[in-house]
Amino acid sequence: MKKRKLARKAAATVMAAAMAMTALAGCSSGNGQSNSGGATTAADTAAATTAAAADTGSAATAGEVTIKFRYWADNTDYSQLMQDIITKFNAENGKGITVVGEETPWDGGAYSENLFNVKMGGGDIDCATWKLTSTPLFVNNDLLADLTPMIDTWADKNDIDDNIYGIMKEAGGSDQIYVMPWNIQVLYVYYRPSIFAQAGIEVPKTYEEFLTAIEKCTMDTDGDGKTDVYGFGMRGAKGGQEPWGSFIYGRGGSFEDMTTAGAVQGMQDFIDIYTKGYVPPTATSDGFNEIIANFQSGLTAMTIHHTGSSANMVTALGDDVSAFPFPAGTGQWTSMGDTETVIFESCKNKEAAFEWVSYLATGEGQKLWCEGTGNVPVSKTLQASEFFQNNRFMKASIEGQSYAGILPILDTTTEWISTLWPNTVSQALTGSITASQCMQTLQDGLYQ
Amino acid sequence: MKHQSLARRIISYLPLVLLLVFILFPFYWTFITSVKPEDELYGAAVTYWPRVITFESYKKLFTTTVNFLAAMKNSFIVASLTTMVSLTASTLAAYAFSRYEFAGRKSLMCIFLCNNMFPTVLLLIPLYTIMRKLGFLYTPASLVLSYTTFTIPFSVWLLLGFLNDLPMSLEEAALVDGCNRGVAFVKIILPILGPCLVATGVYIFMTSWNEYTFAMMFTNTDTRTIPVALKSLIGQLGVQWDLLTAGGIVTIIPVCIMFFFAQKRLVEGLTAGAVKG
Amino acid sequence: MVKKRTIWPYLLVAPAVLIIVCVVFIPVLNAIVMSFQSYDLRRPKDIAFIGLGNYQAIFKDSLFWGALWRTVVWVVCGVGFQFLFGFILALLLNRSFTGRGIVRAVSMIPWVTPGVLIGLMWRWIYDGNFGVLNDLLMRFHLVSAKIPFLSQVSTAFPSVIVTIIWQGIPFFALMILAALQGVSTEMYEAADIDGASPAQKLFFITIPSIKNTIFVTALLRVIWVANSVDVIFNMTEGGPAYSTQTLSVYIFNKGNALNLGYASAMAILLALVLLVVAIPYLKMSFGKEE
Repeated sequence: MKKRKLARKAAATVMAAAMAMTALAGCSSGNGQSNSGGATTAADTAAATTAAAADTGSAATAGEVTIKFRYWADNTDYSQLMQDIITKFNAENGKGITVVGEETPWDGGAYSENLFNVKMGGGDIDCATWKLTSTPLFVNNDLLADLTPMIDTWADKNDIDDNIYGIMKEAGGSDQIYVMPWNIQVLYVYYRPSIFAQAGIEVPKTYEEFLTAIEKCTMDTDGDGKTDVYGFGMRGAKGGQEPWGSFIYGRGGSFEDMTTAGAVQGMQDFIDIYTKGYVPPTATSDGFNEIIANFQSGLTAMTIHHTGSSANMVTALGDDVSAFPFPAGTGQWTSMGDTETVIFESCKNKEAAFEWVSYLATGEGQKLWCEGTGNVPVSKTLQASEFFQNNRFMKASIEGQSYAGILPILDTTTEWISTLWPNTVSQALTGSITASQCMQTLQDGLYQ
Repeated sequence: MKHQSLARRIISYLPLVLLLVFILFPFYWTFITSVKPEDELYGAAVTYWPRVITFESYKKLFTTTVNFLAAMKNSFIVASLTTMVSLTASTLAAYAFSRYEFAGRKSLMCIFLCNNMFPTVLLLIPLYTIMRKLGFLYTPASLVLSYTTFTIPFSVWLLLGFLNDLPMSLEEAALVDGCNRGVAFVKIILPILGPCLVATGVYIFMTSWNEYTFAMMFTNTDTRTIPVALKSLIGQLGVQWDLLTAGGIVTIIPVCIMFFFAQKRLVEGLTAGAVKG
Repeated sequence: MVKKRTIWPYLLVAPAVLIIVCVVFIPVLNAIVMSFQSYDLRRPKDIAFIGLGNYQAIFKDSLFWGALWRTVVWVVCGVGFQFLFGFILALLLNRSFTGRGIVRAVSMIPWVTPGVLIGLMWRWIYDGNFGVLNDLLMRFHLVSAKIPFLSQVSTAFPSVIVTIIWQGIPFFALMILAALQGVSTEMYEAADIDGASPAQKLFFITIPSIKNTIFVTALLRVIWVANSVDVIFNMTEGGPAYSTQTLSVYIFNKGNALNLGYASAMAILLALVLLVVAIPYLKMSFGKEE
């Protein structure tokens, strides 16, 4: 008797747990789509129409289309901005298209890997924001939709420079365009006019003058024998390959072959400013946060970034911050950061998705986004507008456009950026390998 | 005499104080970072108490798109359910391993141990497919299911350790008195195991509470848990320190309060069932 | 231990086994199979069975051996000190004093803190330009120049080890505290009558009574710390110059680069190493029962 009682007790507990779980799955799959808990997301307006469509992810009733859009936001303000743009599009597109936005963390770039895992697992995302470096991975797995036919028949096709389409094609490794341009960031050099005045120098016009400026701006301002201001805020952590490229090209090297004498000399320049103490000793692990903090607090005289950070710079430093495009040496190059959008092959209504991504590229979405975030628009008409012409940082970006480029986008690029570059370069900076060994490792790692 | 006992008291509590300073300093630092305005964070001198205190970040945490309250609710639901399911299954299994000898016992115990030696990053794609096919995606059930599979093995081994420390004589005395195994378990073992159940339950709860990789994959904006919400505060343009640290403080305090009530049960083992000889 | 054949044990383990088998079994098998293939999702058309090819490449990979060595140091120092401080804390929290409940609750903080916050907060504390640790060291004149803790090869690894120690103390404290509750006070009373010193009581009564708990928690923690990635990743991502790249971080990086075959092979090697560590304990606990 007692044995049976215990058995029943145990069985009851297990069954209760199982029932709880299935109940959760059942009722929550409905709840998951609608909005609980007071969030001010744009999905509020979309919730009514998408609640029924959510499971299939495409047309619920005739003429009504739902597009699932995944994006990341660099901070809470931009998150709100994107949601506002989505709401505006949904209200104004007049074609019955409803975009449902889904925000996922940037997670240091793992955004792209997460997106890949989801698509490989069969997740039904229709379009997403994008970083060019992940293009080979997705193209090789046949996950992206070919946008070429839609772009060819697109009214605003010529509002985007051919050079940019060229870069998109390069990333995809063929003549098809798999990636839709959205906005670009051109790196330039921030500097502190007051420190330049103190060091007695002008804005450098050549690469050699730039190196001299770094040396002259490294100063001991309070006479205690320790450096108080460093000439340059070097970025040694992941992402630092972008400013670094300018040094390589400045001596005539290039990414095609990083083992030439010019490239190795550029690397040596980079090592020298570290070993001579012209950059903070934390350079080997400094990422975006650190170089901006160091610059804003007056620890460094110059650092390299793009318009995305300019608003904060002005808030922190007012007029005592300006920018110049990276000067020419034997060669000249600056990094073109990118953000794009893509449509997935699994999307059931690609024309509707294209309406949305083109709204972001040249429509109202482009204007709202670029003015809100300070990114350089890809739309030529928007570039010419007053807002963008009157900003000194925007000017430095636009001036750099003619020689701006990207790292070769191969299937090895992501790993090269995340792991190989930071660790190999810090080995070179700390002296455990030489400049030419470093460049050889980087060359082999990218072109295997 | 009084001097001696005061000195001895200080010395005997010194290790505790030192350990507490080590444990609490980062928490203190997190807290003041969350109430400092940003320019003070990167100022030339490090301030140990903010010149200006602002609770702006806490407000933003709950009113802007971060929607932290929903994340806390989701985390709590997932962690509680995982604890209930996992603890039940683990206790039953641990009792079987400890008190019975049966075919397959050793291999099962080894499999349990090996299950957790495998890094989760390699299992992501197949697990996502499984969750999608089961229809659990974007619901708490997917997380509860994933977390139980990883907490059960460790919990079984933990409880096994505790059970093996409890002498068999306890139950044998009860069995001699005429109870069957099940009643002996419920009436004698369970109460003494109380503190250990609390400890294991805490382990399961904490593991689920802090887990990021699966939460990232299996949730969307509405069902996301705290770690995912916090990660979203780090974009390409840097860390939103104020929100991140505020979120951390808001996460830590309720759980510590919960634990404060739970730890009272840790003492109950002493009063339940005296261990005679 | 009951040795007669009965259906009970099977019923009792059924729920646990069912959950594990239904969910993780196939993905784990899948991963094992991948380790024998050239499984790189960046080049899906090149996926093929290559037998021990991955393993051979791994043995020639100097980064692998470096990572393995670092994992050993990581686990020994990390778990060792976590255990030591956790044990001391458990003994201290077992005593009676006012406010004990609050102190116990507060000791759990490192365990409650989300991983991303731990990494970033400690990174901030260690910061070479604005960090509070450097500020304290300078104020007390213990150093003459700021130390870039996470930027130097010599100091980066010890720094992350300190962080993992910090994170793990509450786990041991709690588990040992729970086990201590089951130790009978009568043994202590008898020892007191015999005039035993506190050290003798510790080593001859306390530790033997909870030794199963000690072994199990230590073993579990070794497995957990060996596999932990988030602390290191959020602090240094394995750098600078690979100095903080333990094997789990290396596997994580390779897995994220979608070179899953190579990553799976390394994961299996790590699991084998951990199994070797676990075997003495398994033998001991199975041996006791014969």
